[in-house]
Amino acid sequence: MHIRMHMDSEFSGIRERRFKITRKYLVYVLFALPAIAYVIGLSIIPAITVVYQSFLVAGKFSLYNYSVLPSYGLYASIGNTLIVSVGALLIQLILALAIAMVMMKPFAGSKIFSSIVIIPFGISTIVSAFIFSLIFTNVGGFANGVLVAFGFKPVVWFSSSISDLGVVMFSDFWKNTPLVALILYGGLSSVSPTLYEAASVDGAGAFKRFTHITLPAIAPLISIALLVRGVSEFNIFALPLVLIGYHPLILNTLIYENYSTLATRPISYAAATVLLLIIMAYSIFVLKIGGAKQYAK
Amino acid sequence: MPNKTNPLIYIVVLALALLFFYPFWVLFLIAFEPTKLTFGLIYPLQFPLEITLTNIVNSFNQVDLLGPLMRSLEVAFIVGGLALLLGIPAGYGIAKLTARISNKIIAFLFIINMMPGLVIAIPISLYFYSAHLENTVLGVALAQELVVLPLTVFIIMGGFRSLPRDLENQARVDGAPLSSTFARVLLPLIRVPILIAFILSWMTSWDEFTYAFIVAPIVPTDSTFPVALYNYVTRDLPLQSATFALVATVPVIVLVVVFQKYLKGQYLSGGLIG
Repeated sequence: MHIRMHMDSEFSGIRERRFKITRKYLVYVLFALPAIAYVIGLSIIPAITVVYQSFLVAGKFSLYNYSVLPSYGLYASIGNTLIVSVGALLIQLILALAIAMVMMKPFAGSKIFSSIVIIPFGISTIVSAFIFSLIFTNVGGFANGVLVAFGFKPVVWFSSSISDLGVVMFSDFWKNTPLVALILYGGLSSVSPTLYEAASVDGAGAFKRFTHITLPAIAPLISIALLVRGVSEFNIFALPLVLIGYHPLILNTLIYENYSTLATRPISYAAATVLLLIIMAYSIFVLKIGGAKQYAK
Repeated sequence: MPNKTNPLIYIVVLALALLFFYPFWVLFLIAFEPTKLTFGLIYPLQFPLEITLTNIVNSFNQVDLLGPLMRSLEVAFIVGGLALLLGIPAGYGIAKLTARISNKIIAFLFIINMMPGLVIAIPISLYFYSAHLENTVLGVALAQELVVLPLTVFIIMGGFRSLPRDLENQARVDGAPLSSTFARVLLPLIRVPILIAFILSWMTSWDEFTYAFIVAPIVPTDSTFPVALYNYVTRDLPLQSATFALVATVPVIVLVVVFQKYLKGQYLSGGLIG
């Protein structure tokens, strides 16, 4: 009994000390509280609302909204979203890598070059969508103008679902490659140039230096770019809306199309929940594969 | 000679520069060429044979361009200002916490950022409707704030972290209250991160479409420029749209060129890089 009381008081001593530390930190947490509360109030709660509403039909729990989703084009729109996202990411990664590697080298006009490739970062998506709608017009259009000027046959850009998606995934490069290039450039510039020199003295060719030094050095940054860009790629909305409208559907245009009619609004909640799940699954996948270490740091 | 520049690089440079410059060029041609050379031809030429200001002047007379631009300006300044108002205290507080806790908070904020814009915008617009914030400058700004807040907190936290630890204590020992230490000692030292955070927030808001489209959708004169531009594009008014796109793009080009040296991967990917 006596011993126990003694132990109790000792424990409470530790607890008190811990409380003191916590209380010191609590003040600092208070500074961050408005920002955190803002984000929870305007982001987590709405997201929960959408998920909750998607399971309601006439005020009762039901899976009805999900059971009719396929007839609204769910599977095709998921497939299309994946095609556009993966394709756009690949295009952006390749272009960004080329830009970042070029920017590492000294050459005349490098300042102007970096300005030209970075400026589209500030372009509004809707402006980019508008310009690319002028470039890829079926009849005429600037892309066909270039082709015809060089003696090629004009192309009907919007001729099938696949070519429509192709135009969207390509057009996305303009605004979004600069960010990826800046991320990769940050990684490349951290590699010591002596490493390349040593490798070429040892007889490693350009390709070997690329696969053995460059790629490993920027692998973690590629996974970060994949996370940051990949998530926004699943969210593209303005670009497909302007370029292809609702045919073929991607998840976001499916959500919006059903949201804009009051009768099908619950359907859009169910589709939004599906999109939320896909994005969460993708983020967890990328973090597990490559970014986890950086993320935890 | 390790520093010799391979002439092949100029081919890559030229190709990339052309690719990234071409969309600007198309916008320029549409805006400044007479329509007989752009929409009048099946295959528009790539070089301007004639330059005119008629398209621009007519567009300003035909549609309301200044209204949406002024709204965008208002929204962007509210978003930038509110980001600092919430982000500076948050960045300060989080910088003071142990790395373990602060990283959790930052990670939490960024996970929020991964939420699909459309998924969040829809219920928000319904809340705003009952709070009479739909189709208002404030409503659009409050919704867009979500997009910029995590990055703002992260950049400003980085600024506070880079300051020497003793600095604040010394100022406090001298008897200055926290508020004046903050205003006179700390804030001037992190003016660069604050500026970057503000510019990035401002630009994000200026360009943002999804939230603006859902919160202030209907009347073009009531919406920000991206929504109004979308409206003109879908109404098949390419000349007016081109003028609009041009006028709205000039300020961001200036901003990006002026602040180019601050646009770095580690800022923009927000927290995910060490």
